[in-house]
Amino acid sequence: MYFVLIYALACLSTCHCHFIEKGKNENHCGLLKQWLKSSLVSVEIVKEGFHREVVTTVELSPDVLSDVRVLLVHRWPRGVFVDPYQLASLSDQSDWQILLDSAIDLEVPAHKTVGFVTYVYPSPDGPTPRLLKVTIPIHGRYHEPSFVELLLRTEKCTQLNNKEPYTAVVAPCTPDNSSTCQWVKLQHQQERGAMGVQFPVGDGSLVRPVCGGTLLVTVLCCVALSKHMWKHRIIKQ
Amino acid sequence: MERLITKLTEKHVLFTASFAIRLTLVAYGDYQDRTMVVKYTDIDYHVFTDAARFITEGQSPYNRSTYRYTPLLAWLLTPNIYLSMVFGKILFIVCDVLSGLLIYRILRLRGLGSETARRVCSLWLLNPLPMGVSSRGNAESILAALVLVTLLCIEARHLIWAAIFYGLSVHMKIYPVTYALPIALTLRTFETRSEENYKRWRWRRFIGFMGSFLNRELFLFASVAGGVFFMLTALFYYMYGWEFLHETYLYHLTRRDIRHNFSPYFYMLYLTTDSRWSQWLGLLAFLPQLILLLVASWAFYSDLAFCCFLHTAIFVSFNKVCTSQYFLWYLCLLPLVIPHLSLSLKQGVGLLLLWFVGQGIWLGPAYFLEFEGYNTFLLIWLAGLLFLIINSSILIQIVAHYKPTQTSQRLKVE
Repeated sequence: MYFVLIYALACLSTCHCHFIEKGKNENHCGLLKQWLKSSLVSVEIVKEGFHREVVTTVELSPDVLSDVRVLLVHRWPRGVFVDPYQLASLSDQSDWQILLDSAIDLEVPAHKTVGFVTYVYPSPDGPTPRLLKVTIPIHGRYHEPSFVELLLRTEKCTQLNNKEPYTAVVAPCTPDNSSTCQWVKLQHQQERGAMGVQFPVGDGSLVRPVCGGTLLVTVLCCVALSKHMWKHRIIKQ
Repeated sequence: MERLITKLTEKHVLFTASFAIRLTLVAYGDYQDRTMVVKYTDIDYHVFTDAARFITEGQSPYNRSTYRYTPLLAWLLTPNIYLSMVFGKILFIVCDVLSGLLIYRILRLRGLGSETARRVCSLWLLNPLPMGVSSRGNAESILAALVLVTLLCIEARHLIWAAIFYGLSVHMKIYPVTYALPIALTLRTFETRSEENYKRWRWRRFIGFMGSFLNRELFLFASVAGGVFFMLTALFYYMYGWEFLHETYLYHLTRRDIRHNFSPYFYMLYLTTDSRWSQWLGLLAFLPQLILLLVASWAFYSDLAFCCFLHTAIFVSFNKVCTSQYFLWYLCLLPLVIPHLSLSLKQGVGLLLLWFVGQGIWLGPAYFLEFEGYNTFLLIWLAGLLFLIINSSILIQIVAHYKPTQTSQRLKVE
């Protein structure tokens, strides 16, 4: 399973832009791009086994204004899944909210499903703190790459020009998925080394001994139990 | 010590105390859920409650993923939404204590003295396992109560009530359908064999045997039980369509859990999930279960409680999927069997410990697989086989030491 790249995105909400405001607008959008460049995103996977936690830490640049909205987009491989019910109960206790792009089948094996995307909104209702830490519990199917994108938006940056290396991306504005906004993303800002998780899998080469052994033991137990039950059967008088 | 046990098992004290302890556990569970990270309440309880919520909004309970039970359960739990979240748990612990009362009644009907019956009952009422399961929000106690009331009604010859409760219990979970054969064998016309009859032609005996099933009582039982079951199925099919049939019944029949569980077949099914032999192996795995159920029915049908206990224990141990919740299905019938066992206390405790050791040996590698990521699949497989061997040995010991009531005689083979 191989890996995570970090993108930074900033987003603009679509609203009317007056001519007089244009200068200010460009200034805000420029600021967004600056903040994206100077923000740091790191991802760590903790815990062992089939139940892990992906800890994403975002350190926004010191001059970021508190009205900037942050969106973290995780693209997950089909080898893991998140439990929407677990996330719902977690969101009561944490300051971030999550939106899933599709319904998650909790039980299907990895090769029978596809990856999915999550949108994490830290502090959706309050001012955005400078240091954000989001812990997402994941559960294993098996492994493939996942990667993280950091997107930013602010109400004041309304029109974004799509100049390299920044791109405007459309994503839901808030966790309730009621509208979409433009967010700014920085392409290929940092490339991290391979990060992966490993899940143990069954040893396919042992199919014959396992089948043989299982059937042998079950048949022997069946015969022994049948014999004793018949020997001690109750005859009705 | 003796006086303490006598005091504790006085009827009013016993039932009141067992209810009070369960109530305390529910209250504690509520506290733990609110204050600690590890929750007391089982995830199933949240599944039931979410499904009940969908019903209160006029939708199908199957909108809640992993809800694989009868809609009746979600309907029963709608007060969770209207009154309080804790309603369901109270219902489950009431059913739990009711099961204890039913065990007491059945034991009395089978000729046990009041004091002994109460002591045996306390094995269920003061047992931490059913206490924990019900207070955590699992619905197993409803089914335990239904199965026990069916047995009680059959013992007391209230056949119509027995049939109604039997139909209801099969509707709620499929496994009681295995009791159909011993019940049919019990209710058929029993002909005492004389020497003359025995010398008749085989085919005449066979016809006689088949004919014994055509009697009024059995017909009444079958039609009422079948009627209840099909009426409920038809009603819920009309309300919720194919999804109801699939989630409540078909899923459980075709279920192949490739994730680790106590079943001896788990690893074999996991490794052969996508192979073309998978269907045949599934069918092959079904055979020992079927053969054992047939033998158990024929050997012990005259003692219905014992037969049902064996049926369920065999069904669970040889099933393709086995989780610890399933143990309660036969543990609720164990108190009915215990008074007739000629095992000494030492032997009994030894078998119990063996059962726990078998589980412990499985739980060790399972923990390391799931929470530490070690590849312990082979160890889990071997532990699963060992658990099957242990379960079979325990059942053999129980069968060998079972002394039925006076009306039947054991076949002695020297």
